[in-house]
Amino acid sequence: MSQPIVVTVARDLEDLIPTFMKNRAKELETLRGALAGGDFEQLRQVGHRMKGVGNSYGFEKVSELGKRIEDGAKASDRATLETSFAEYADYLARVKIVYE
Amino acid sequence: MNDAAAGRAQFRVLVVDDDQDMSAFLARLLAQQGLNAETVNDGHAALAAIAADPPDLVLLDVQMPGPDGFEICRRLKASEATALLPVVLVTALEDQDSRVRGIRAGADDFLSKPVHREELIARVNTLRRLHETRKELEGRRLAAQVQEKEAIRKAFSRYLSPRLAERVLRESPRGGDVFRDLSQRALVVALFADLRGFTRLSETVPVSSIVPMLNEYFAVVTAAVHENEGTVFSMAGDSMLVGFNVPVSQPDAAERALNTGRTVIRSFGPVGARWQREHGLSTGVGVGIEAGEVVVGNVGTPSFTSYTIIGDPVNIAARLMQRAEPNEVLIGPRAARALGASLAGELRKRAVELKGKAEPVEVVSLRLGRAG
Repeated sequence: MSQPIVVTVARDLEDLIPTFMKNRAKELETLRGALAGGDFEQLRQVGHRMKGVGNSYGFEKVSELGKRIEDGAKASDRATLETSFAEYADYLARVKIVYE
Repeated sequence: MNDAAAGRAQFRVLVVDDDQDMSAFLARLLAQQGLNAETVNDGHAALAAIAADPPDLVLLDVQMPGPDGFEICRRLKASEATALLPVVLVTALEDQDSRVRGIRAGADDFLSKPVHREELIARVNTLRRLHETRKELEGRRLAAQVQEKEAIRKAFSRYLSPRLAERVLRESPRGGDVFRDLSQRALVVALFADLRGFTRLSETVPVSSIVPMLNEYFAVVTAAVHENEGTVFSMAGDSMLVGFNVPVSQPDAAERALNTGRTVIRSFGPVGARWQREHGLSTGVGVGIEAGEVVVGNVGTPSFTSYTIIGDPVNIAARLMQRAEPNEVLIGPRAARALGASLAGELRKRAVELKGKAEPVEVVSLRLGRAG
């Protein structure tokens, strides 16, 4: 079994995290659907949003992947987008949240 | 809750972001600061919420469905009602283009995404302090305005009837505008009223009674002047100069002057009768009225100024007053022409020689009994 990725989140945001994580899983589906449909504008928008929200909550990797997806969408770079989605899926599967 | 906390609780922030995780996050941080945070998730909802109940601060995402952050910001800054509402655009730190567009749209500040909580709190607190200072200054400005208006009203009430003072303030909120033209030609109706026989009376009554008696007489005259919205220009001894159609227009100025004369004589009747019983001398009010062009202005020195009317109609009205018997109104030719039908049935013409006039002047006399 792969190693968990530990993310520390402020305790005062704890009750917001279940919804946040559910939205990330939905987001990955949206990204995949948009790429399948060749909708690079939607990909850019979702990537841009991920970039903003991720690290606000403490999920640095979500912001980093968001930037890569936004840039990949602008360049219509399917390969980068596919790699990013795989990395995102792996991250969501492994992330372990610790509240402080 | 202490005062500071109560102040913060009243400070309302509207968070506008189409990403619900982001708006929930921002609202949470603001609530932790004791601020009242509401969230909406698109541009149309933002404009509707602000129009319905303007908050004290808006945190505005840039990319949104409906009108985007720039458009909302532009609209808020273009409207008088919301121009002073502080707007913080929430943009990606590296997005220089958005910041430039935001400045052009009138944004007051920027917050970087991802949002750093200390940065958010510091910016919001700065804007809250600015907002409170602005509100306090606005409150002081309004209070000063009310005080200024009250001072103008008091100054006016020396000359004008309360109703006329209200009208002047309504038509010229700074008041002074009405009196600004230091010399201005105007068509007015001048009325002089004088207490005939009072000089003799004042020689016989105790000195301590003279001022109360004069006050009683002037109370009668002033009430009649106020009722007809005249402007008192001067009081000297027992005579008073009143103007109509000045400082504001009164198309029925001549009728107002005539009514004032009638009311003064009628109202003074019982007072004169009492004085006669108490002091044994007859008095009555004589009134002179004339219309025409005069110069209206503030005459005097910087330390003492008198709002004055000067001109031939004023002189004629004064001389008519001197010639009027007790309980008589003498109306000069131009005022009589202006009154026209109002005088029908009761006019009695007579030629009067007036000082300074080569020819006798034909005037209208109205004799009023004490009963009316």
